[in-house]
Amino acid sequence: MSVPAAAQRAVGPSEAAIVVQDLSKKFGDFVAVDNLSFEVSPGRITGFLGPNGAGKTTTLRMLLGLVRPSAGTGLIDGVTYAQLDRPLQTVGAALEATNFHPGRSGRDHLRVLAATHGIPDSRVDELLALVGIPAAARKKAGGYSMGMRQRLGLAAALLGDPHVLILDEPSNGLDPEGIRWLRGFLRHLASQGKTILISSHLLSEVEQTVDDVVIIANGQLVRQGTIDELHGEATTLVRTSGSRALIGALRGAGLEAGDEPAQGPGAVRVVTGDLAQVGDLALAAGVPVHELRVLRTDLERLYFQLTESPENRNRNLDTGAAEPPPEPPVGPPPVAATPDRTGPEETDR
Amino acid sequence: MSHLVRSELRKYFSTRMWWGMALSMFLIGAVFAAFTGGFTLYGELPAGSGDTMIKLADVLPELTAARMIYAGGIQFAYMLALVIGVLSMGQEFRHKTVSGTFLAGPRRHQVVFAKVIGLLVIIVVNAVAHIAGAVLGGGILLTTAGMSVIPDTAGLLQTFALMLLILVVWGLIGLGLGVLLTNQVAALFLGIAFTLIVEPLIAFGLTFVDGGEAFAKFFPSQAATATLSLFSGVDDAVAEMMGAAGEQLTWWTGALTLLVYAAIMTLIGLWLTRRRDIV
Repeated sequence: MSVPAAAQRAVGPSEAAIVVQDLSKKFGDFVAVDNLSFEVSPGRITGFLGPNGAGKTTTLRMLLGLVRPSAGTGLIDGVTYAQLDRPLQTVGAALEATNFHPGRSGRDHLRVLAATHGIPDSRVDELLALVGIPAAARKKAGGYSMGMRQRLGLAAALLGDPHVLILDEPSNGLDPEGIRWLRGFLRHLASQGKTILISSHLLSEVEQTVDDVVIIANGQLVRQGTIDELHGEATTLVRTSGSRALIGALRGAGLEAGDEPAQGPGAVRVVTGDLAQVGDLALAAGVPVHELRVLRTDLERLYFQLTESPENRNRNLDTGAAEPPPEPPVGPPPVAATPDRTGPEETDR
Repeated sequence: MSHLVRSELRKYFSTRMWWGMALSMFLIGAVFAAFTGGFTLYGELPAGSGDTMIKLADVLPELTAARMIYAGGIQFAYMLALVIGVLSMGQEFRHKTVSGTFLAGPRRHQVVFAKVIGLLVIIVVNAVAHIAGAVLGGGILLTTAGMSVIPDTAGLLQTFALMLLILVVWGLIGLGLGVLLTNQVAALFLGIAFTLIVEPLIAFGLTFVDGGEAFAKFFPSQAATATLSLFSGVDDAVAEMMGAAGEQLTWWTGALTLLVYAAIMTLIGLWLTRRRDIV
């Protein structure tokens, strides 16, 4: 998780754990995935984001050999899924939480999968303990709660101790306690150096967990990069009664600075994350400081702008009946996504 | 490959269906053998043109009577074998476990072959249950009639082996149907409706067509009956009175016919399965 950005960039395309190349899928006339290409770096958690119906699940299923691509390829460790010799020991996948026979116990579900790779029952019990459902897994899966299904799905994905994990909306249907547990669990897995590709329709759900993001809308790539790149350059807001003198002093120190009227009177925006330097420069310039804080990009709003702009609006939905994007949990109400708005809105977080 | 077969067996034996099915097989064997025993040992049929009645037990050789009794439930049993075969694939689509199955076995033809082998084992278990039931139900009737329960060990073993063969090929036909149609209800309906309703109707229609019987004998149910060759050693006239359909295939061409049905459906299903999108 803490691989420096420079080290990450040094990783060439050939070393990517997952390569999606020009992948397309048409179901009849409907284009679910449209010429999509992206890469997932080894040893990192990558969030695969997009609104419902953006083509996330179809992309993952193509990557896993369950859906035949109309064009393009999806490679894991340089080969297609079907070419993997012992797939469960390379890739673990948790797709939907409903893939269980209601009359079979969770433990037997895992034993059925374990048998395909000669994995012993002791490993099954070990994983059931790890995901915290050792007793419940002996009951029939028909009575399981959503949280138990998700945990059982994760246990199934981990059976062969794979180094690549592909998780489709693992937090769907989880209560806050379950989501907290999942975050900790994913961090635990990442600390073992596993490559994790995790899909979600909510950025806020994975924002604290992922290193990289791949954002798609309408089956097309919208943005790919590290979560830090998405945040953009660190900027600082400083409020003063002597903004002209302060801007002069900041520029004199080689910093990019300017008025930020959107933040109210006397607001100055500085491109740096170093609050101490800004304070010291203000003191040296002899101007009073009324406020000094880091400005954060509202990723949630950026995400909506990227995925809800008219050209990225879901073609599935009738444009007239398209639902407005849900409001972000914090901050002022979202601005309407208009084509002329380009840069991300910046607000206090 | 052997790992995949093991997985298939765990699949079958980890739900309640396995013993429910075995119990049904046993009961069907017992009840129908008893019914057939009642008819064969105590029933009478009008003889020739006169109004004299002949007792079936007097005209049937002892081994033939025992064979008919023990195989009395085979038609219901092979319907159940068909159901087992259909469900082997159909359940995977019904409960969406097919995703996990193909993730663990991405070379899908291997999964289908593993299902074929797994099904053989499963059918053997069910066949044993069915034959055990038949020997119990039929044995009681034979004993009450003062006849030997096992008149000819080798002859009866041959019948039991043929019963097993019929159950196996019908199981495979079911699997072929299940692989072909992902909707298990549709596959079950088609399999059972065809065998119980459509096939007899077509066969009846063909009797009005010159040379029609040459086709009819290749129909699944008739081929199954032929495989058992129950009427071997029975006077033709008596056999006809008991409902034997005219010309029949030999036991092995009957079995081969059924295997061809199973193979054709499995191969088409296999081709579709390899291309099918699992969404």
